Amino acid sequence: MKKGGPVVGIELNRRRFLSVTASVAGLTATGGLLSACGGGTPQKTGANSDALKAALPNYVPSTTLKPDIPSIAGGPNVLTDPGFLTYPSDRVATVSGVPGKGGKYTTVTPLWGTIPPADNSFYQAMNKALGVTLDMKPADGNNYATIIPTMTAAKRLPDWIQLPTWWNSNFNVGELAGSQLADLTPFLSGDNIKKYPNLAAIPTGAWQAGAWGDKIYGVPSFSSGFVVAGATFFRRDVLEAKGITADQVKSADDLMNLGKELTDAKAGVWAFDDVWTYMFPAWNVPLKWKVDNGKLIHKYDMPELLDALEWHYTLATSGYLHPDALAGNNADGNVRFYSGKVLIGGGGTGAWNAADHQSGSAANPNFRRGAFNFFTADGKGEPQIYMGPSTSIMSYLNSNLKSEQIEELLAVANYLAAPYGSVEYTLVNYGVEGVHHTMVNGVPTATDEGKKNVQAQTFPFLASPPAVISNPGSDVVTKDYTAWQAANVKHLQKPVFWNMNISLPRAMATADAAQAVEDAIKDCYHGKKKVSEVKEAITTWKSSGGGDKLVQWMDENVLQKYGTGQ
Amino acid sequence: MSSVSTEPPARKNKLSLRVRLRRDRSLLLMTVPAVALLLVFNYVPLFGLLTAFQDYNPLVGVWNSEWVGFDQFVTLFGDSLFWGSLTNTLYLSFVQLILFFPIPIALALLLNSVLSERLRNFIQSIAYLPHFFSWVLAITIFQQMFGGAGLLNQFLRSNDMSTWDIMTNPDTFVLLITSQAIWKEAGWSIIVFLAALAAINTDLYESSAVDGAGRWRRLWHITLPGMSGVIMLMLVLRLGNALTVGFEQFLIQREAVGHEAADVLDTFAFYYGIATNNYSYGAAAGLFKSVISLLLIWGANKLAHAFGEDGLYRK
Repeated sequence: MKKGGPVVGIELNRRRFLSVTASVAGLTATGGLLSACGGGTPQKTGANSDALKAALPNYVPSTTLKPDIPSIAGGPNVLTDPGFLTYPSDRVATVSGVPGKGGKYTTVTPLWGTIPPADNSFYQAMNKALGVTLDMKPADGNNYATIIPTMTAAKRLPDWIQLPTWWNSNFNVGELAGSQLADLTPFLSGDNIKKYPNLAAIPTGAWQAGAWGDKIYGVPSFSSGFVVAGATFFRRDVLEAKGITADQVKSADDLMNLGKELTDAKAGVWAFDDVWTYMFPAWNVPLKWKVDNGKLIHKYDMPELLDALEWHYTLATSGYLHPDALAGNNADGNVRFYSGKVLIGGGGTGAWNAADHQSGSAANPNFRRGAFNFFTADGKGEPQIYMGPSTSIMSYLNSNLKSEQIEELLAVANYLAAPYGSVEYTLVNYGVEGVHHTMVNGVPTATDEGKKNVQAQTFPFLASPPAVISNPGSDVVTKDYTAWQAANVKHLQKPVFWNMNISLPRAMATADAAQAVEDAIKDCYHGKKKVSEVKEAITTWKSSGGGDKLVQWMDENVLQKYGTGQ
Repeated sequence: MSSVSTEPPARKNKLSLRVRLRRDRSLLLMTVPAVALLLVFNYVPLFGLLTAFQDYNPLVGVWNSEWVGFDQFVTLFGDSLFWGSLTNTLYLSFVQLILFFPIPIALALLLNSVLSERLRNFIQSIAYLPHFFSWVLAITIFQQMFGGAGLLNQFLRSNDMSTWDIMTNPDTFVLLITSQAIWKEAGWSIIVFLAALAAINTDLYESSAVDGAGRWRRLWHITLPGMSGVIMLMLVLRLGNALTVGFEQFLIQREAVGHEAADVLDTFAFYYGIATNNYSYGAAAGLFKSVISLLLIWGANKLAHAFGEDGLYRK
């Protein structure tokens, strides 16, 4: 899948949504974004067991297209996304004939944006090409987490549904797996997947993220070998004009000094927007768990977390952080960044795309987004950046479907997962040429009909190929982003319980969400609470908030039984 | 006895149910949609309160969730964050009662004294307008005006004066919240008081003026007694809703001032219940709030009756 146009649009929307919820609905960004440990009852905690290894599909990479900027491997399951500078003109067909056999199915996917009209010309063209009738029912992404539980409670799931993994615990996917969601293991394990070559080109890690209790349930979309919480972005055009380059920032102190240099409150310019979510790994704080000499440690128990908070508290009280960020207004972060009112800000890497470049350039023709390379807080040693799960977009089939129906839908998924630039990919992402898009300077450009009906968050949310970086018309973005990935891939590491689905009992899930501590942390990096008060919140969480019990439960039920998953 | 119309009012109740049903059928029919609405959206959801005594799991439903008795309440009453939210709610409610409640009354009196109808309508329209803004919009306007990077502070900065932290100061949050509420809702709240003013017989003013009563005497002896029923009703309702101080307003500004200053009972139930999948805990907090509210409204109504006012209904 293309990490440029539509895909990044989704990423952007999703992260934007998360940041909005962080301020409005209170789901913490870390809780949503980074919960590699999602669902699965204890006995369903699947990862690393021999049974799961046997169940996982074999990986057969696609060789259909040669990218302009090839992937760079940083270790097992770690590699940069390939970059394409132009949209391939030589379209290859990867699926012969029509995958479907005339079946009729309902689908539900989340959509952050305007819902296209039902039974529109794009859906019709897709159904014709797929040979099935998919009754597409995209649902409002902002309410998705409340819509789905009513369906599962009534046992009325559609035939094919997309359940974003950051909501695994909200949806209780671990419970649904096997009861309401179909087991795909018999169809996809090992070499069985070779029947679906485009699905076989999705890396194993992504399949693992959709596995529960040694069985495969999910079909991954937008998988990537380079999944990080985000990056600390900066206005490259503005900083370079001042003679500052990214490699001059090698420690947290360097960054703080930069804050002093760049802030000019009188002119309405502040150096920083919120950076906590993307900066705390610099103190060697894991996303949540760490294993030290065989002992499981929660990040709340790490003194490094308090050091990280201390720095962020200082940042918030120093006057280098934009007042609107301090007021919790994250929704306007991009506007502040584009208009140069803020020069450094954290964000998901999905923000680095053509649409972003166009918006930025509209505000300032010189606009160029850059990201600091990862560094350690003290500037010493190698930074360790823990990867997120290989994908967060996972679709599932209903367990009521018969075997032949499952095979038919997997064949459809294989079509949807056709690689970037292929005939199928072009149809899925841009619609029919001449109707939904026309080629302008070699770039598929949406017509009015296309803008209305072709949504990146419909069919690709059911299945899509692994991510690529491509921003036709904005080469600078593709080059900058791939270069940043290449420079940082060596720092990426698999965290404890990587891609493992862990379904916590309800009481543990509440302890895991640790709302009181997350609230205290947020108040701290906004300068409202001192680090000592966060420490108190952590102490309370450990004793009466179930924190100690959570660590014990995770140790006994996950670490001891399944290992670290690294 | 035989004729309905000759019956004294007190004895009307003795008519048989059938007769009364037949007599009032059109009126009863007209209330059916409202009653249905109330039943479906207000009474049926009450069964959800059962979850407060369970460890509710939405996947298995209410009937199959585990019953835990009063466990949720025991945890709730031992939760310092809950007590903090309750204290915040009561404090905010009290401050709003003192600072907010009299303003629509005063506005209504002022507006009533404006003689030009065009001017009165104009002022009224302007005062109503903010009511139709969402809280998101209202708070954005406040942020743009008084925020750290807003108009006021940028003006102060550009004139080398020290800035004024209005939007993110937890200590003055109660004043901020109240002034936002006044700006947004005071204009709208005058409607009911204006209606009460309109219902006062103008002859009374004329006769008292003839008797030599000045403006203040007329206000004191005619206008205010004429409004007292409505004022008391609004007060009873306000007291009954003492634990409901708003939701979005706090949700949106929670990050700005920190959760300790901004958490009220409703946001507590949301963040520590719904948002963390701990539905039963949220339900317990909600039930607690409802029970206390019921007691408050009952008490306030009693008080109103004791003062000889109507309260919620005529005794």
